[in-house]
Amino acid sequence: MPQSALLPLLGLNVRVQVHPVVLLSICDAYIRRNDKQERVIGTLLGTVTDGLVSVQRCYVVPHNESADQVAVDIVHHKTMLELHQKVAPQQTIVGWYSTTSSNVCSDALIQEFYAKEPTSSSGPIHLVVDTSLGGDRVDVRAYASRGLSLGDKALATEFVELPCNVLVGEAERVGLNLLVSGDHERGKPLADSEGLPESIARLQQLLATAQRYVEDVVAGRAKADPAIGRHLADTLADIPRLEPSDFERLFNEGIQDQLLVSYFANLVRSQVALAERLGTAALPLV
Amino acid sequence: MATAAEVLKQTAPAAAESAAVVVRQVQLDGQVVLKIMQHCDGALPNIVTGQLLGLDVGALLEVTDCFPFPGGDDDTLDEQAGANYQIEMMRCLREVNVDNNTVGWYQSSSFGSYQTTEMIETFVSYHESIRKCVCLVYDPQRSARGQLALKAVRLKDAFITHFKEQKLTGKDLREAGISWRDVFVEVPVRIHNSSLAQALVADLDPAPRITAPDLERLDLGGAAYLTKTISGLIEGADDVLAEAQKISVYHRNLARQQQHMAQWLAKRRQENAARRAAGEEALPEEDPAAFKPIPEPPMLEQYLVVNQLAAGCERATAACQAGMSKLYVMQALQKGGAQA
Repeated sequence: MPQSALLPLLGLNVRVQVHPVVLLSICDAYIRRNDKQERVIGTLLGTVTDGLVSVQRCYVVPHNESADQVAVDIVHHKTMLELHQKVAPQQTIVGWYSTTSSNVCSDALIQEFYAKEPTSSSGPIHLVVDTSLGGDRVDVRAYASRGLSLGDKALATEFVELPCNVLVGEAERVGLNLLVSGDHERGKPLADSEGLPESIARLQQLLATAQRYVEDVVAGRAKADPAIGRHLADTLADIPRLEPSDFERLFNEGIQDQLLVSYFANLVRSQVALAERLGTAALPLV
Repeated sequence: MATAAEVLKQTAPAAAESAAVVVRQVQLDGQVVLKIMQHCDGALPNIVTGQLLGLDVGALLEVTDCFPFPGGDDDTLDEQAGANYQIEMMRCLREVNVDNNTVGWYQSSSFGSYQTTEMIETFVSYHESIRKCVCLVYDPQRSARGQLALKAVRLKDAFITHFKEQKLTGKDLREAGISWRDVFVEVPVRIHNSSLAQALVADLDPAPRITAPDLERLDLGGAAYLTKTISGLIEGADDVLAEAQKISVYHRNLARQQQHMAQWLAKRRQENAARRAAGEEALPEEDPAAFKPIPEPPMLEQYLVVNQLAAGCERATAACQAGMSKLYVMQALQKGGAQA
């Protein structure tokens, strides 16, 4: 009678968050790989808090793989780890990544190798970025491994998919907006003056969505949700009611402040230019 | 043990024959932008730096990768360790086919003020080995307000030649026609991505929610930012004034010294005339020990300070224009609301 297969629970509350830098680096590494290689692998660095694995940096590790063997350049891996930790000492190895979607058997070996590294308690994460563009999108998936053993003998390693999302921080969102609108042929010049129209457009979109929802509810097309209704009512009540004269006053004061600063700035600039002319003209040639 | 400078010399692009062409545009890879943002934002409020790697193609400088330098606040990291870090990093990157040419460095700045003597010295030391290098200046505080504040700066070649020959006195600079405007040149930047990265980023397009930068931009209360800008301008004006005072003091002293020398010379001549009349030997008319030459204050400081002040003025004007346009939009909305 076979003993029951032991499936150790592997902290199934683990979630993975990936920073976009990591994904772009992986794409870049894939493009730069050697001719004979089909895929690239590398190490992921990041932090782990409370079951949330945050992947923030990565670096490529050269490797060779054939049908049944895989060789990873360990020296390179260790050197890069040291170098990265000099810059960001609080980041640790959280796993590794690779760029094809098929889990070949060498993955298990590599996973074991990374499991031996000092990683977090939940074991190394395996991130797969599908660069073959098979499904019309670039897929990003994260896996954790757990061993399947029969009694005492280890049978196989199973990769379990984890919920993974790409974290877009506030500052990165600015960068990503620029990247999205970039045209890869010509590149997009960095424009400083954009911003206000986009923000207003977004605000208008949100207002339109809210208005559509309210109209739908009133016409009976959508179910009314009291929480949303209360929220909308609160927000509308928060808008300050200004008498026209008050608004005029505020507006004038604001404009005056801005004009004053602008005047000062121009004054200083002309002062500097003037001083330069006078200064250099007055210097006696020694 | 090879030093970083030697490594740089070895890896300098063989396109040294294109030295006559200056950099007219900088092209950044998307991942470089994100890496720089990640590094600088994470290291606030310290100033951090890093190296840029890429290719130079004629008048276009492509930056394809970058890596951060360690030890922002760790002063025990000495020169040799820093050089070792650089060499190790470049060697590892070469193994994975990353472009191995240094094309410059990046640094974060506070409120966009980057014109310092250290920057000029770094430029000149890079110039020894690579003809074309740029510095990317990133302003994390402005990026938090919703605009990507990344600009590429390089020094004008004429200025570099002058600096190397140490001919920085007022007379030399005026002869060469170099004013404070001719020190730094801003190079336009554009972002470029590989097709794969484009596909990836298109998938990541964030949903149209209002974000913190939007709130900053739509915020009408710009008073705090204005106050900070004005205090920055005041400091800049103080610096410029101090430098101008140094120069005027120097000239006053010089004039006084000339006067003394003239008086002393006249006295000596009188004495000599008396002595010759008396048949004694004439004393020498030159006495170098009595009048030491007064050192001229360095013009470089003045140029840099004026540069900073001018940049601060431009920033203030831009911020004011943005503020005023917001207020006018508000007024239009209010009027429209009143009529409806």
